[in-house]
Amino acid sequence: AVRCSALEWSGCYRNEEIASSKWLDAHYDPVANLYTFSSCIALSDLHGDGENKLVVGDLGTGVCNVKLKVYRGTGVLSESTLLDLPTGLVSFLMDLHEPRTPAIAVASGPFIYVYKNLRPYFKFTLPSLEVNPLEQDVWSQAKEDMIDPMTLKEMLEGLRDKAEIPLSVRSLRFLMLEPQEMENFVLLHKEQPIRRQTVITCIGMLKKNMADEDAVSCLVIGTENGDVYILDPEAFTILYKMSLPSSPTLMDVTGQFDVEFRITVACRNGNIYILRRDSPKPKYCIELSSHPVGLVRMGKNVVVGCTHETLHGYTQKGKKLWTAYLPAPVTAMALMDLPTRGFQAVLVGLANCEVHMYRDKNLISTIKTPDVVTSICFGRYGREDGTLIMTTKGGGLIVKILKRTAVFDDRDSAPGPPIAQSIRLNVPKKTKLYVDQTLRERENAVAMHRAFQMDLSRLRLAAARAYVKALESSLTPMSASLTEPLKMNAVVQGLGPSFKLTLNIQNTASCRPVMNLAISFLYDENLYSMRTAFFKIPLLVPGLNYPIDTFVECLSDKGISDIIKVFVLREGKSAPLLTAHINMPVSEGLALN
Amino acid sequence: MKTDVQLPAATDLKKPRPKKAPELPILERRNWLIHLHYIRKDYETCKAIIKEQLHETQGMCEYAVYVQALIMRLEGKIQQSLELFQSCAILNPKSSDNLKQVARSLFLLGKHKAAIEVYNEAARLNQKDWEISHNLGVCYIYTKDFRSAEEQLNLALQLNKHDLTYMMLGKIHLLQGDTEKAIDVYKSAVEYVSIHNLTFKHTCFILYTMLLGKYQKAFEHLGNALTYDPNNFKAILAAGSMMQTHGDYDVAMNKYRVAAYSVPESPPLWNNIGMCFFGKKKYVAAISCLKRANYLSPFDWKILYNLGLVHLTMQQYASAFHFLSAAINLRPRMSELYMLLAVALTNLDDADNARRSYEQAVQLDESNLLVNLNFAVFLYNQGDKKAALLQFQEMERKVNTQVDSNINTEFDPELVEMAQKLGAALQAGENLYWSKPGKDSKSSQRSSSSKPSSSQQPLGTNQALGQAMSSAAGYSKSMQITAGAEP
Repeated sequence: AVRCSALEWSGCYRNEEIASSKWLDAHYDPVANLYTFSSCIALSDLHGDGENKLVVGDLGTGVCNVKLKVYRGTGVLSESTLLDLPTGLVSFLMDLHEPRTPAIAVASGPFIYVYKNLRPYFKFTLPSLEVNPLEQDVWSQAKEDMIDPMTLKEMLEGLRDKAEIPLSVRSLRFLMLEPQEMENFVLLHKEQPIRRQTVITCIGMLKKNMADEDAVSCLVIGTENGDVYILDPEAFTILYKMSLPSSPTLMDVTGQFDVEFRITVACRNGNIYILRRDSPKPKYCIELSSHPVGLVRMGKNVVVGCTHETLHGYTQKGKKLWTAYLPAPVTAMALMDLPTRGFQAVLVGLANCEVHMYRDKNLISTIKTPDVVTSICFGRYGREDGTLIMTTKGGGLIVKILKRTAVFDDRDSAPGPPIAQSIRLNVPKKTKLYVDQTLRERENAVAMHRAFQMDLSRLRLAAARAYVKALESSLTPMSASLTEPLKMNAVVQGLGPSFKLTLNIQNTASCRPVMNLAISFLYDENLYSMRTAFFKIPLLVPGLNYPIDTFVECLSDKGISDIIKVFVLREGKSAPLLTAHINMPVSEGLALN
Repeated sequence: MKTDVQLPAATDLKKPRPKKAPELPILERRNWLIHLHYIRKDYETCKAIIKEQLHETQGMCEYAVYVQALIMRLEGKIQQSLELFQSCAILNPKSSDNLKQVARSLFLLGKHKAAIEVYNEAARLNQKDWEISHNLGVCYIYTKDFRSAEEQLNLALQLNKHDLTYMMLGKIHLLQGDTEKAIDVYKSAVEYVSIHNLTFKHTCFILYTMLLGKYQKAFEHLGNALTYDPNNFKAILAAGSMMQTHGDYDVAMNKYRVAAYSVPESPPLWNNIGMCFFGKKKYVAAISCLKRANYLSPFDWKILYNLGLVHLTMQQYASAFHFLSAAINLRPRMSELYMLLAVALTNLDDADNARRSYEQAVQLDESNLLVNLNFAVFLYNQGDKKAALLQFQEMERKVNTQVDSNINTEFDPELVEMAQKLGAALQAGENLYWSKPGKDSKSSQRSSSSKPSSSQQPLGTNQALGQAMSSAAGYSKSMQITAGAEP
């Protein structure tokens, strides 16, 4: 792997604004090969030695190579293979045993894998969903061979369209089958109990009964069918269940389970719901105008980044406080919390390779990144409190350390309008010639006007005359005769010496076909040769386009070209119906003798 | 091959027992990942995941189909997306969301009637959806069924007070020419919409006040909107155009500089900048800017009108003639254009055509005094006193109606001066508004640019007082009056 050292990398930033000098570039690995999101990154003191490690749930290629990676310093400490893509991971303390080492919970499909000391410790499976009793009945009848597959299909279809509880995967799959496959499918599956499973879409954690940093925490999970569960930290039993109108995508949890808590969930329908301890249904709802991409709680407020390039601030009761407009779509969001300095800000990764730092609606700092950031995590890494960890779209890993001297102004550093206001207007300049002409016009306006009007009339007259002449002698590619209204255009293809001439002829009459037509060519015989310089054309049905191909050979190698004239003739008439002049291109090839 | 050989033996032994059923994958297991990529606008990855997911579930994963259809619609493949949404609706016939998307695609394809049907079907599944009612309303607007549109939009407002709905409802009333109802809508919009959507609130308030004719109030709110969002192009243009009306050319220019920085190729902006220079009597710069505006939008008659006016001022009558005739070709029913053309023609010594042009102007005109006054001056100079008197009386009539109905009591001092001179020459006009004692015309604060007439003719040549058009994108169609006088 190619790695830039901190020193090399800082060279790239030499000309950067002061903002970037607030950070030390600790590590950048552009080929770390990480495919992950903010929800799959955590910093944790895995071994209880006071040194925080970086835990990353890597989605690998999206199909295989799915791994749980642990970084220490600039290197990978350990890797363990995951069975399926991780949706999220959290590091939490599950008991009070000494040494107090946190466990890692990885949500993946319908399971939560709990790792302790980086070793698999427990696997939690989501409870199955309720199966439609009618569906159960139908299948048990099928099991006892009381109904044939076709009847089964009809009954299931009836259930699908009416029932409140959706059908299981098995029934849905069965309904998609061809009649000849049904028998086998029923035989294969009928012994198995029907199950409906759902998957975990997001995961968070909630302190059990103490607010301390090292208090025991419960896991909070959101599922595809819109349920939120709170799990007991030791027994992994479901302590509390709540339901949402849509699938949750992002989650933020605050409070303590035994006292009072608040779960803010962004859902796939574009709404944010706020759940509280006393009610199994959402207490407040925020309707956003576009989908939320990131959700971060700052103090008592919630900051949401939306797809419409906006950042909104809401109170915990769902009241909107402010909106900030972003220069590019949001890709990742995270909280920057420095409790030692009492400083909090929201980090927003943008698609224009920037990370913006917001305090409320004020942009206080901007970090430029070499690639689009897909995940952000801020916290203690190793023994350094203010570490910013980012992964990029190309799979890179960036680690930056906040300088201890860095100070952030609370002022809005967004560029204001006065800068633009002082830029001079780019008014086009006029030359001396223009001024002279202006003066001339002032003096001679009448004469100029008369001359112009006179010439205009002459021009119109000349144009009309030429047009009449062209029509009279059929020199145009449009026929003026009422009996044979024809239109023609010609295309020349080829580089030479052979050219292909395509004549597109169209009868523009509404219903009358045209017949007895012929085409003849007139050209310089020293320059060109044609196999057939005269041929008949078929009956022309109105409205259709007739492409007629013929070939021309260029005889000269002197790089000269000429005009070929095409005449459309009517049998028994010497004057052509229409004429086209084809400007032949210069032949770029030589004839083979 | 090896398993094939072994299999018969096994099945022979335990015939009734089938082999273990394979675990069927959960259909929705990748939905979260699809959604994650979709909202991050990473459509390529998203499409790859969808393809894989559809392969695995044999096309049964509703959400994957749904997102694929959304992406296709974004890519402009509306017909294909419509088909996909329809298959979503087959997979899950109970979801109003799928129907809404089907209807949306139909709407985008311009099939408004079909969209209305599908929306109605969706509304049966979900009675209380703001979006359905709103979109139904919009569809009805396109089918010109304003009554149903109004009904649906009001329904949408009952469910949720969204800015968009207010805007559409206001638009319907304006389309029907019902200004009062539109004012009511904007008024309630101002009251109900949360204070955090300031831009919208200001837009509403501005529209509301402008409809009421309270330009001063509208201007204040434009100022507020600008402090909130100082780079809002529309607001800058609207505010600048109002400042221009009041002669604040320097302040307007400051605003335009901001706008020119963000949108450097806007024809209305360069038109307004040009007219600012005109107001400051920097005619060459004015022509430069107007020509740029004309280059950017060659078929905008307002720009051509202004170019004609500036060239008249510069005594470039031949050029003025061309710009004005181009403007007339684009907008053949505007009397002021014919009047300016007539002025140009008079100066080009083409009295016959000038007279014809004036006649056309008078025929089209309804309330502009200048048309009649200029025509009267022209006729007088031509020696046709009788016809001149007729035009003068027509002007008197217009003045009196305007004063009686209190539309306008302040007249341009230049116009008044010329009218008085002409009145004296024609021995008429004693009963005009401004000649009554004690009601001297208040001179407007604008500096008049008239020069003393230095011609041998008894009355000097025509006064060409034009109105400089300023088009403030979408906000004000009001014309601003700039006096451009000729010696």
